[in-house]
Amino acid sequence: MGLLGIGCPVVRIRPNPWRTPHNEQLTIRLFLNGCLKARNQKLDERAFDFAPHGTPTGKLLQSPRTATTMTQKPVPALHPGDTVPNGPLPDGTPLLTLRGRPVILAFASTEWDPAQAHQSAIFARLSQEFGSSAALTEAAPQAWHSLDYRGELAVHLGVAGQRALLLLDEAGVLRWKTVVEPGQELRAGQVLAALEALRPAPTVALSQVAAPETEVISGGVSRRTFVLATLAAAALLALPSVAAAAPADISASPTHTENRAAMLPIELNINGKNHRLELDSRTALLDALRENMHLTGTKKGCDHGQCGACTVHLDGHSALSCLTLAVMAQGKAITTIEGLAKGDTLHPMQVAFIKHDAFQCGYCTPGQIMSATALLADPHTRHGSAVEIREAMSGNLCRCAAYPNIIAAIEEAQRG
Amino acid sequence: MHPFQYQRAENPGQAVAAVAKNPEAAFIAGGTSQVDLLKEDVHQPSLLVDVSGLPLRQISEFEGGVRIGANATNTEAAYYPAIQARYPAVSEALLAGASVQIRNMATMAGNPLQRTRCPYFRDLAQPCNKRTPGSGCAAIGGYNHVHALFGASAACVATHPSDLAVALAALDAQVQTTGPQGSRTIAFTNLHRLPGTTPHLDTTLAHGELITSIDLPAFAGRSHYLKVRERASYAYALASCAVALEMDGLKIKSARIALGGVAHKPWRTLAAEALLAGQLPTEKLFRTAATAAFADAKALEHNAYKIPMGRNLLVRALLETSGLQPLAGPAGTAFAASVGGMAGQVATPN
Repeated sequence: MGLLGIGCPVVRIRPNPWRTPHNEQLTIRLFLNGCLKARNQKLDERAFDFAPHGTPTGKLLQSPRTATTMTQKPVPALHPGDTVPNGPLPDGTPLLTLRGRPVILAFASTEWDPAQAHQSAIFARLSQEFGSSAALTEAAPQAWHSLDYRGELAVHLGVAGQRALLLLDEAGVLRWKTVVEPGQELRAGQVLAALEALRPAPTVALSQVAAPETEVISGGVSRRTFVLATLAAAALLALPSVAAAAPADISASPTHTENRAAMLPIELNINGKNHRLELDSRTALLDALRENMHLTGTKKGCDHGQCGACTVHLDGHSALSCLTLAVMAQGKAITTIEGLAKGDTLHPMQVAFIKHDAFQCGYCTPGQIMSATALLADPHTRHGSAVEIREAMSGNLCRCAAYPNIIAAIEEAQRG
Repeated sequence: MHPFQYQRAENPGQAVAAVAKNPEAAFIAGGTSQVDLLKEDVHQPSLLVDVSGLPLRQISEFEGGVRIGANATNTEAAYYPAIQARYPAVSEALLAGASVQIRNMATMAGNPLQRTRCPYFRDLAQPCNKRTPGSGCAAIGGYNHVHALFGASAACVATHPSDLAVALAALDAQVQTTGPQGSRTIAFTNLHRLPGTTPHLDTTLAHGELITSIDLPAFAGRSHYLKVRERASYAYALASCAVALEMDGLKIKSARIALGGVAHKPWRTLAAEALLAGQLPTEKLFRTAATAAFADAKALEHNAYKIPMGRNLLVRALLETSGLQPLAGPAGTAFAASVGGMAGQVATPN
């Protein structure tokens, strides 16, 4: 046994059915890729409750969505060092049969969001990475289990309704656990820490497990392990957050996250107010605004700096929030479309856009307005002619081609 | 995006030390090109050292020229009065490049360090020696309409995308750096490399070497940047050129020409420059020079159109710079630098 990717038997992603109509195609493709064994187990509709140490009581919970009617006490959360009670894997195999080898259990939602399309690519790569290693082939199907977080094992292990990653050693003892809180992401550093925890003796103390990523990366982890861990993290990260789906009662079990050292405390000044966030270093300002601050006026178009839908002001100048790392926006005054109006009084540019019907679908409009207001605040462009306005607005694309009306609106605001 | 550590540098020395000791570390400032490459998984640093807060943002008069701090934004430099008046090629290249938002974010040191726009470089499913040394080049034998005419190798035919770099090459700018081996000055024309067998190296900067300023030397002549692209605005150059002429009465005392969009680095055309020195400016002379400039061009399957396009562009740029033909827009603006599109729709002051 050893690190994932070296000796530890590994991963076959085995998600539960992804059955919504819009993911049919994806499921089929993943089938073809051979990286999925999609199964029609309706775990979420026949979640069992288990006695503390393993045998199914046979009590049928109709559905996790009706689990609020559960009369049983919630299963207490497991802690590192606890022996994990037995329970059934989705194929019916008792968890006990996996003793003798380390096991990774990944609990996640089975709903698939079209916005998370790259999930399939990550899974495919992950599967390929593991599959292509000769040393791993033999044991490959055994050790990684991707499980429905509404499934029976999730209920049984006290992580029902939560994205969670659990590592059991060969003795069936919980060696490491992390619960990914809604709105948070799993970090590669956490996965690496988990892999480190799987090393043979000496037992790694939790405090060490939670070491920041620097130490983990520089701690002799091979490039390949790092790549694998990164992929694993990316896969988890791509799994939809449970926030919307989980019934309140289920998510009421303890949700502390143990390994968050890799997250950065970040303070952003948005629309005149300071906000403290804890964000992954990779978070773009756009995503911080939309996903963390729920300021969804700023739009994600191309996400690569080509369309301008995500335009905000940084210290009064227009900037692309999709190409700005949130951590680098600290100390700057960030203004979003939500920050333009004063109470119920719209900004004159907003009024002009409405008056001139300067949009059709409206998706690019917040970005257009942010660019337009910055343009009129800038002495170099404030007095520009229609052609100069066009040039200065060329970073904002409008698929509906409302350009003439956009220019008319800006000219009106320019006249004041 | 691969995970990375983030560190904000307090001073240049600390930034250099942090990057120099970690082979997977990189500086980040404006991030406009870099964050995109992070998202594409093309750029996978384990540590990003943020140099955007370093006090390197000042633009100042310097030994008869202008010293541009590495962190000055493209917008700040483009509108800096001494640059717009005395080095219009720089302002034109900047304002005809990218979009307002990107110019507000991008720094003057970062702009010349942006990486190629070769589509295969960004496509992880394709081989690319620049991205993955030794994997091969998908552009040779692929769709290579935006690729190089000059200085390419069997390993790489990518072009350098920066407009600014072309203007700086024509103006013989100098790059001040500080690095693990101390500080030095690099002639701008030596900042970028040709691909050779090491296309993964874009520049001659050492790992951990930080640009602190870009210096425009004293220059009393005229300069101009001209660019042709697939859209009226907000597009990379298919071909471009920067011209710097110093006159001696009616004659050209010296000429410097850099071509953009045709090589792995801004391509100085010394043969054409030599033809112009000491001559009276005429269209015929400029055509001869342009022919000489492209004499060594080696077209790939899809980019031969760039040869006549580049020749004509250079002739026009020389005519405009020498005053034989008016600029298409006010000097130092995007309207002077553009061919087609919105060019010509804003009157020149004269």
